[in-house]
Amino acid sequence: MKEILKYFSIFLLTNFIFFNAFAQSNVINGKVLDNVTQEGVSAVSITIKGESAGTYTDNNGNFKITAQQNLPLTLIISSVGFVTQEILVSNISIPVTVNFKPANSLGQEVVVSATKVATRILESPVSIERVSAAAIRNAPAVSYYDVVSTLKGVDVVTSSLTFKTPTTRGFAGSGNTRFTQLVDGMDNQAPGLNFAVGGVIGVTQLDVDNLELLPGASSALYGPGGMNGTLLITSKNPFKYQGFSFEVKEGIMHTDGSARPLSPYHNWSLRWAKQLSDKFAFKISTELVQAQDWIGTDYRNYKGLAVNGQPSFGTRASDPNYNGINVYGDETHIDLRLGLRGIAAAAPFLAPYINTLLTSPLNITRTGYKERDVLNPNTVNYKLAGALHYKITPRTEAILAAYWGTGNTVYTGSDRYSLKNLKIGQYKLEINNKNWLIRAYTTQEDAGESFNASATMAFFNEAWKPSGGSTGWVAQYAQSFLNAKLNGASDVDAHTTGRAVADVGRPAEGSAEFKTLFNTVRTIPIYKNGGLFVDKTSLYNAEGQYNLTSAFNNVAEVLVGGNFKRYVLNSEGTLFADRDGKIGINEYGGYLQVAKQIVDRLKITLSGRYDKNQNFKGRFTPRATAVFKLTENSNLRFSYQTAYRFPSTQQQWIDLQVGGGIRLVGGIPYFNTKYNLSSTPTYTYESLQSGTPQLYNAKEFKPETVKSFEAGYKGLLFDGKLLIDLYGYFGQYNEFIYRKVLIQSKTGSPIQQSDTTNGNAFSVPVNSIDKVKTLGYGIGLDYNLAKNYTLGFNFSSDELKDLPTTPGFFSYFNAPKVRVNVSFANNGFGYKKLLGFNVVYKYQDAFNFQGDFASGYIPSAQTLDAQFSMKFPKAKTIVKLGANNLLNQYYINAIGNSRVGGLYYVSFGYNLY
Amino acid sequence: MNSLLNINKAAFLFFTLITSLLFSCNKDVQQFAEPALPTAPVGMALGETIAARPTDSLYYRLVTKAGLLPVINNKAATFTMYVPDNNAMKLFINAISAGAVPLAAPDAVFSGFISANIPVASAVGIVSYNISGQALPSTNIPATFPNLQYPTILNPAPSLSALLRLTTFPSTRNGAWLNNVPFTSVDLNAANGVIHHTAVVVAPPQRYLWNRIDTDGGLTYLKAAINRADSGTAAPGTLQGALLNISANLTVFAPTDDAFKVTLTGAIAKGLIGMGVPPATAMAQAAYLASSPNVFSNPALYGVLTAQTVKGIIVYHIFGNRAFTNNFPTTLTYYPTLLNGAFASHPGVGLTAVFGMPFVTSATIKGVGNASAANIIINSSPLKPDPSGTSDQHYLNGVLHKIDQVLLPQ
Repeated sequence: MKEILKYFSIFLLTNFIFFNAFAQSNVINGKVLDNVTQEGVSAVSITIKGESAGTYTDNNGNFKITAQQNLPLTLIISSVGFVTQEILVSNISIPVTVNFKPANSLGQEVVVSATKVATRILESPVSIERVSAAAIRNAPAVSYYDVVSTLKGVDVVTSSLTFKTPTTRGFAGSGNTRFTQLVDGMDNQAPGLNFAVGGVIGVTQLDVDNLELLPGASSALYGPGGMNGTLLITSKNPFKYQGFSFEVKEGIMHTDGSARPLSPYHNWSLRWAKQLSDKFAFKISTELVQAQDWIGTDYRNYKGLAVNGQPSFGTRASDPNYNGINVYGDETHIDLRLGLRGIAAAAPFLAPYINTLLTSPLNITRTGYKERDVLNPNTVNYKLAGALHYKITPRTEAILAAYWGTGNTVYTGSDRYSLKNLKIGQYKLEINNKNWLIRAYTTQEDAGESFNASATMAFFNEAWKPSGGSTGWVAQYAQSFLNAKLNGASDVDAHTTGRAVADVGRPAEGSAEFKTLFNTVRTIPIYKNGGLFVDKTSLYNAEGQYNLTSAFNNVAEVLVGGNFKRYVLNSEGTLFADRDGKIGINEYGGYLQVAKQIVDRLKITLSGRYDKNQNFKGRFTPRATAVFKLTENSNLRFSYQTAYRFPSTQQQWIDLQVGGGIRLVGGIPYFNTKYNLSSTPTYTYESLQSGTPQLYNAKEFKPETVKSFEAGYKGLLFDGKLLIDLYGYFGQYNEFIYRKVLIQSKTGSPIQQSDTTNGNAFSVPVNSIDKVKTLGYGIGLDYNLAKNYTLGFNFSSDELKDLPTTPGFFSYFNAPKVRVNVSFANNGFGYKKLLGFNVVYKYQDAFNFQGDFASGYIPSAQTLDAQFSMKFPKAKTIVKLGANNLLNQYYINAIGNSRVGGLYYVSFGYNLY
Repeated sequence: MNSLLNINKAAFLFFTLITSLLFSCNKDVQQFAEPALPTAPVGMALGETIAARPTDSLYYRLVTKAGLLPVINNKAATFTMYVPDNNAMKLFINAISAGAVPLAAPDAVFSGFISANIPVASAVGIVSYNISGQALPSTNIPATFPNLQYPTILNPAPSLSALLRLTTFPSTRNGAWLNNVPFTSVDLNAANGVIHHTAVVVAPPQRYLWNRIDTDGGLTYLKAAINRADSGTAAPGTLQGALLNISANLTVFAPTDDAFKVTLTGAIAKGLIGMGVPPATAMAQAAYLASSPNVFSNPALYGVLTAQTVKGIIVYHIFGNRAFTNNFPTTLTYYPTLLNGAFASHPGVGLTAVFGMPFVTSATIKGVGNASAANIIINSSPLKPDPSGTSDQHYLNGVLHKIDQVLLPQ
């Protein structure tokens, strides 16, 4: 990797020297004004007809461009949302003033991600959604990630305030490995933790240029992953978006005090970009979010292991084996008979009576602590990003960029994790040209003081009072339980008495003793009986792309590319099986895309990609698309796409004890040997539960693939006022990866149903032998009313078909059958069109959620988001009053996740564009 | 086109839709109904049940005196009570008053005696010993041997351990019994438990087995033999230690002094004859040597009566569980003794009993090495308690029966 960077740097330096200066001749100054408001319009593209050079207006609408040709010349003024104009310049001494006329922008946007080539969105061969900076600015959302949730077909899993994971076409989860997020071309999945960190690091709110969402399979262009979709986040180019801007949002949360007391929400962000010369520009942006986080308050009893379980009746008072979902430390299940047998041995005169109590397991759990007492309530997220852009030639730009973020947040994976002082950085060096691109980046991850809530509190309990031993918690419980029984108490009362006695002296929530012990345990690595997981995993990636269209004399558009990726797992044995040293994983791949306008109305694109991971066989994924132009503004699209993903780094190498006594292990053969899964009697959990124990038969662990067929229509109707987008798809997954719970005999002897909770429990990723089929469709309608009013509606549905009947199979599909978003907005009305509003209603149907932390039924949910804004053009400011979940109707979108309520804010923005 | 949708229509449509939808709040996650908690049992509690029965009035008085009514009237708990009816209580009071309260005395006299003459501690002891936690209906009382050892609520030394309990031995073998006391009726159900009536007051044992052996003038050889067996062994691993251990559960078949004399005389004479001593002389010398329990501490006989040999014989007289005569089999059946701890395959001893109505009238125990079975010396009258009885003598850690032979394991 170092070699690659060295050559890359030399290449860059050479170009700097070679293209050190451009000749300068005619300098044209000008200003672009909105012809309605007469305010300067920023980021407007200014190019000279017949030249490759171009520039953008600054934040006041001013521009300066140097022409290589003699006067007169023609300037081309363009920007999405305005009518493109051509201005004839005859006199260089007179500044050019352009009255820019707003235009209908419906369907006029250009997208890149669908084919990696700029394409009009109406002509995209696959489903795509685009969110512009303007849309983000006018959205009733505190974060651009919230805007994604209003796009059709999108589900968002909210682990916490700053941890939101979008996905499309099902399989939603906090750590969704079937959905890729690319930030300025970089995969922003944390390489060790396996979740996208866009909400934590990456582009700040003010630096987002646009979001492009590709629902469906996209491996053919973007490599492994992205089976269900890809979100591409592009930041603002400092050449185009210049100046200083900031936004301060101040809000309140927990207004009803049901989970936490009323608390403030702070979100401050600023961005500064400057073009220092025709060739050099830089930007720096930063954002700070601080709030008291949403909190998981699901205290229902969870019966079963991991995804195999379900919420059920029972409380701490009524069920001695209670295991609350958002209660931690109570995952330690113990059979009280162990303690009672000890008493029988020590007091034989009680043995005959005790024997009458031992006919079936007497399962109890340690007393746990609620999430609010365990997870850090203080969510802090600080992002810092910067980039240096250098135009080696007018069409060749070098970018050195860094994105860094730190903070505290909460994540739901196989457990609830407090990500404390998490630090993730992404650093990129890129040179792009109209025809080619080379890019190298690295992701550096440091989990900081992050800890697993269940493990921490389980070991907290053990540190306070060990479960075992003659004077341990179980012995005390058993003695008091028995004494109560001997005195005539009922089972419930005897358990209550036993627990009360065993818990005497238990550190009270929030007490000094609690804090001291908690802070000790959470900072001890998991394998040393603490809750800390160390993760300093890194990813190194180098990639290139070349557009060979001109080399083929424009007979067809031809695109080739490839990449090399290396993961270096480094968790010091706390997350991966890397106690003996770092683990490297190499991947590489290449792709080819050929697009051809077959006839006037039909364009065919063929793509293919081959990838290889050192732990798995190579895979080829083809894609074929067709766009049939019905009219200039309406197209039919058809696609056959394939995608696949190598198992995530965790699915390959994780080795982690989590709540419920389960050890998560990877699926590579190493673990089969390490834990004797084949040689010691090991059974599938569900077979033990059903009373017909089946020995686990380890098979080759393979990458997962999907084939997707899709058809769609996108078109402008009614004089371009109505944009309609329809789609339908069918997907079929092969070698579908899911986790299976295994129970291994502790003694080596066969075990039976009654031993279900007594063996060693493992969760192992396996491939489904059955195919998993998904089906979905959606419709989006955007209607431009007069006077800037817009009405939007979208409906989408995803379904799992022919669900495999394999015992113990869980799809984790996690998608509602019905999703509806309705919006009504105006970004300029009233006095001088300075007022704006946006109201968005969201509804999603109930669905059954399956997750490694917990499974269960998610009720339907609806939310209303709204914002009202007023611009002050002279001060270049905008004041916004907004609310996420205006009616404070709490909802969850995953079992065990935070319960999300209303967030009300007022924002003050300066120079937002 | 404007006719398709105008601003006012759109706004009206949007807000009408949203308003109507938002009338319904988001549902919280599904909550599951808790299984119905056991409701307070309906009907009279144990104390109330006894109070309502005139024939149990004296025991009710005793319970009241003990201050345990709140315990047995607590419907949140369940108990098994063993209740002697008024006739049984009168026998008890007549006995403890040494006849001062005649059996024919009016009930009020007995009641007055309870109030005035039975100390609270004694009342607590008796009543507590006749209460066990949880309901044990007669159908759940096993007929198997050994007996079910069932703890009472009586803790003789709470400061020693909260879990210490005196235990009772209910059985439905050869009838229905609490220890060696027959039930006169069973399964009187109350809201919070069950009552079985006993023929007499079942008093809690007061002493250890060793106390009886140590003080009984007819068991001096046994005491000396135990001391000999324990010589060279450190407490608490001694037999004496076991006989003084409250958590032990034993049955001692105690050969009388006469039985020891006969056995020892024979054994010593046999040894002397083997050494060439004339039989008559040998018998005389043997009788002399065996005429006192000191035979076990006679250094001249240490080589014959080794500690190990004596211990082997003694443990052959002890069961590791509690066997009242009413639990004996009616046909010869062999049971293991503590000797089986060292020799697992040893056949043990053979027991058999003959029942009258309802008590055992005769019983024998057969040692493997004995030519004939030994007799268990049955009490001269049923239920004769410690220290004057000879069978079914109940102690804190076991039961003792006197027998007329020393049992020989081989």
